[in-house]
Amino acid sequence: MFDPETIKEQFPVFQQKSPLGEDLIYLDNAATSQKPQSVIDAITNFYAKEYGTVGRSSYWLASETTKRFNGVRAKVQRLLSATHEEEIVFTFGTTDAINKVANSFLRPRLNAGDEVVISEMEHHANLLPWQQICIEKGATLKVIPMLDTGELDYNALEGLLSDKVKLLAVTGISNALGIKNDLSRIIEAAKAFEVPVFIDAAQSLAHEKVDVVSLDCDFLAFSGHKLYGPTGVGVLYGKRERLREMAPLSYGGGIVKNVGFDETSFQDSPNKHEAGTPNIAGVIGLGAAIDFVNEIGYAQIGAHTLEVTDYALGQLEAMEGIRIIGQVEDRAPVISFVMEGVHAHDLSTFLNEKGICIRAGHHCAQPLMNRLNLTATARVSFAIYNTKADIDALITALKETQAFLS
Amino acid sequence: MNDRIKSLYRSHILVNAKDESHQGIIENATHVLEAYNPMCGDKYTLYLKLVDHVIEKATFDGFGCAISKASTAVLIKQIEGKSLEEIKPIVNMFFELVNEESDQAPESLTDDEDLIAFAASREFPERKTCATLSWGELKQIL
Repeated sequence: MFDPETIKEQFPVFQQKSPLGEDLIYLDNAATSQKPQSVIDAITNFYAKEYGTVGRSSYWLASETTKRFNGVRAKVQRLLSATHEEEIVFTFGTTDAINKVANSFLRPRLNAGDEVVISEMEHHANLLPWQQICIEKGATLKVIPMLDTGELDYNALEGLLSDKVKLLAVTGISNALGIKNDLSRIIEAAKAFEVPVFIDAAQSLAHEKVDVVSLDCDFLAFSGHKLYGPTGVGVLYGKRERLREMAPLSYGGGIVKNVGFDETSFQDSPNKHEAGTPNIAGVIGLGAAIDFVNEIGYAQIGAHTLEVTDYALGQLEAMEGIRIIGQVEDRAPVISFVMEGVHAHDLSTFLNEKGICIRAGHHCAQPLMNRLNLTATARVSFAIYNTKADIDALITALKETQAFLS
Repeated sequence: MNDRIKSLYRSHILVNAKDESHQGIIENATHVLEAYNPMCGDKYTLYLKLVDHVIEKATFDGFGCAISKASTAVLIKQIEGKSLEEIKPIVNMFFELVNEESDQAPESLTDDEDLIAFAASREFPERKTCATLSWGELKQIL
């Protein structure tokens, strides 16, 4: 029987009180998630007992580490249902992966007059790398608009696609509003024009099974730290032929066959794309995080976080003076809202006093906020360790804040 | 709510955040300053009409949280009618007031309740940028 309280016990951070002696209620999971003991132990044990480098040396520590490192690659491959292990490249996070694809894949293929398509709800990470290369090349960044409900305007997408489009980049889930995009529909539309598709799955992996083969995306990236894993590690999935045809994502040691001063030949993916010593402990930690997720299972994670989200939505909707931003059927466990007459930052400060951690602001999605005529929202986002009791505490604190401030 | 937070949002800050007496635009302003916090999106424009080193008229418009709005409103009220020379020590004192590492008691710095209310941000370092947003912008031209 699944019990979120038992899950919570696996996260040592919840064993402490806030500076004001309150229980910690952590509702900022869309920003980053807390870490279970198993992930912390994996990293600690690795540094304490097993530490060595990867892919370079032949003594026992290094060969054992290389085996474990590539074992995590195989785990990620299964997690994403990717066809080949070499389609999994470790990065330092989603932002790093996007920048690398922008530099290594898009830049050499983009010419003046070409186009790149993104969506109006993109986080700055899935906007700026593409935008800057478009500016550099004299290409145009086109934006899939959003409807007032917060959903993407899929009809408008068709009109944006053409042979001029060299890449379409879109998020799986809006980090600011929790809206899930119909990726299959977007990718199918792009494929009609043979447009390569990049999926920002930073928000998705924590909540739902992602299958890169059935999606048929060309690239997909996610970060370890939103998936109960450590910071500083992420994954770039790329179709084998894409990763083969691309120049190395960055240059340095560990990626070559033969190096001369005039020319160099490179290894195949994934080595070709992982220059320098990687975040080995981060990858080991990511492996433990994937084990943690697999042990519970996406079905259970999805069902539980949906239950908490529905409960929170019901409670918030019943309150006077609360407006939920984005009205959609298919919502990730992320709710953005505004409290009438109370700025989100003031609200966040009040909730902090009660040990409740929420996000307030523009969520690194300024164009989205402009579209909605908002400067800031309060955002709560849930993970496997959140409970209905967390929501009850939130609602009580919101009512107290409202009584005091408005 | 506990006493600590009440002190931050004590009546002075809430009242000043809602005070619209100095909100608006000065068409013939000599100085237009933009106070913007890209981290949170709070944004105010300060309009100053400076005549012979004296701020004859000052207004602001914009939006943001209660703390940034109140601190901007208090700033504008503090500087109107004063010379730049008179304003400098007030601005310096304000930064000392909100400085959590200061060894000076807030009460020793000022007895103006509108100002002293912001000393509460010594206990909320994460909100200090809200309290000092417009003050920092004004400091640039002093």
